Amino acid sequence: MILIACVDDGFGMMFNHRRQSQDRVLRDHIIALTSGKQLWMNHYSAKQFDGVAGQINTDDSCLSEAAPGDYCFVEDEDVTQYEQWIEKIILYKWNRKYPSDLKFGIPLKEHGWVLSRSTDFAGSSHDKITEEVYTR
Amino acid sequence: MKNANRALLPFLLAVCILLSACSSTAGTSANTSSNDQSSTISSQVSSESTSTPEAAESGTGSSTGATENVNSTFSSPFSLASVPAYSKSPYVEVNGNQPYFTSSELTTKAFETYSDLDSLGRCGVAYANICKELMPTEERGSIGAVKPSGWQIAKYDFVDGKYLYNRCHLIGFQLAGENANEKNLITGTRYMNVDGMLPFENMVADYVKETGNHVLYRVTPIFEGKNLVASGVLMEAESVEDKGEGILFCVYCYNVEPGVTIDYATGNNQLSADTTQVTSGSTSTATSTQQSAEQTYILNTNTHKFHYPSCSSVQDMSESNKQTFTGTRDELIAEGYSPCGRCKP
Repeated sequence: MILIACVDDGFGMMFNHRRQSQDRVLRDHIIALTSGKQLWMNHYSAKQFDGVAGQINTDDSCLSEAAPGDYCFVEDEDVTQYEQWIEKIILYKWNRKYPSDLKFGIPLKEHGWVLSRSTDFAGSSHDKITEEVYTR
Repeated sequence: MKNANRALLPFLLAVCILLSACSSTAGTSANTSSNDQSSTISSQVSSESTSTPEAAESGTGSSTGATENVNSTFSSPFSLASVPAYSKSPYVEVNGNQPYFTSSELTTKAFETYSDLDSLGRCGVAYANICKELMPTEERGSIGAVKPSGWQIAKYDFVDGKYLYNRCHLIGFQLAGENANEKNLITGTRYMNVDGMLPFENMVADYVKETGNHVLYRVTPIFEGKNLVASGVLMEAESVEDKGEGILFCVYCYNVEPGVTIDYATGNNQLSADTTQVTSGSTSTATSTQQSAEQTYILNTNTHKFHYPSCSSVQDMSESNKQTFTGTRDELIAEGYSPCGRCKP
């Protein structure tokens, strides 16, 4: 699967069971990116994409269900135990510091993930969102 | 838990009491207070009756919603005794991350209230309903003229930006545009300002910008006894329209600086004993002088860096993040800005 996650400057993802941030431009970007493919996410994340795009496949076990080549958007789960099934990681960085109590737990460099592409774009409420693509 | 707390609040809020606190708890373990302080917190907090949105709306209005100053007090159920001693994290969850708001306080009407300074010149609770209406539309000015209780200039080599203390907004400028208001500025360490409070302010600000929703937001400085420097701040927030689904937190931020021992009674400070060895060779010093030369700088309000106008980074800066500032370098650093690494202002 191709993992998609959003992180802050400290690789945080959530605080007090709530996402750190959201951005409608980023949602549109993810929908466009995954067009024609399966985009898995759990019910918590699906609420953010309410009523959008037929490619969304909502399942609370999405990390286990996603097949090779499928995208999986994750906000509120520890992804470390699924790393062996991840083919590519796409991180969206808010370029902000938020509080966090759930972090993106894969040590990218230590585990051989290589940054293959980095692109900046403006969000609706974030001046700069950075898309980073990691492969190995 | 939340409902139970809320049920207790009307009684607790009606009675002004001083909270008991353990002198050996938060904010004082890593940093000791040398005064013979009483075991009380004199956190001045706006009263329930005057801090309600309805009351605030009848207060002195600002151009961006209702602003009110209050001098009455109420007791928060929060107890410093319940806060663990500082241990590497700049903040800690309080009350299960459930703010002490009552359901009746949730409103979509804009307001902001600031407590009058107490007899020692200390700030009290700052309380607002953060929304786009309150957010700043003008450039941020200088706050260097405000001297919060316990204020002094102290520099350490290992502190980010060198300066131990910042003039620390209770309600961040990015949230309500309240800048050089002495009722909204306390003496806070760089660590508390940047690592403790700012992440929460960022989270609230970006949520409001993105959704257009309101966030009930309250910051209470916690002073022990007659200390002039707060031990920390209690930060509470709850998004209104989605009833906390987007934003919900209740945290205590420690007013500490790792490696520095602070006398909270006066603001005096010194290297911690175990830090002296670490920094030997690049001796850390405290100074009471302030660099006073005024100069024009260009601020990046997003990255919180400041630059010389001639810096090449200025050309790459988004116009929406660019501000011109005339004042001293010290003022900028005390406001949380860091010098650009390229032009080294």
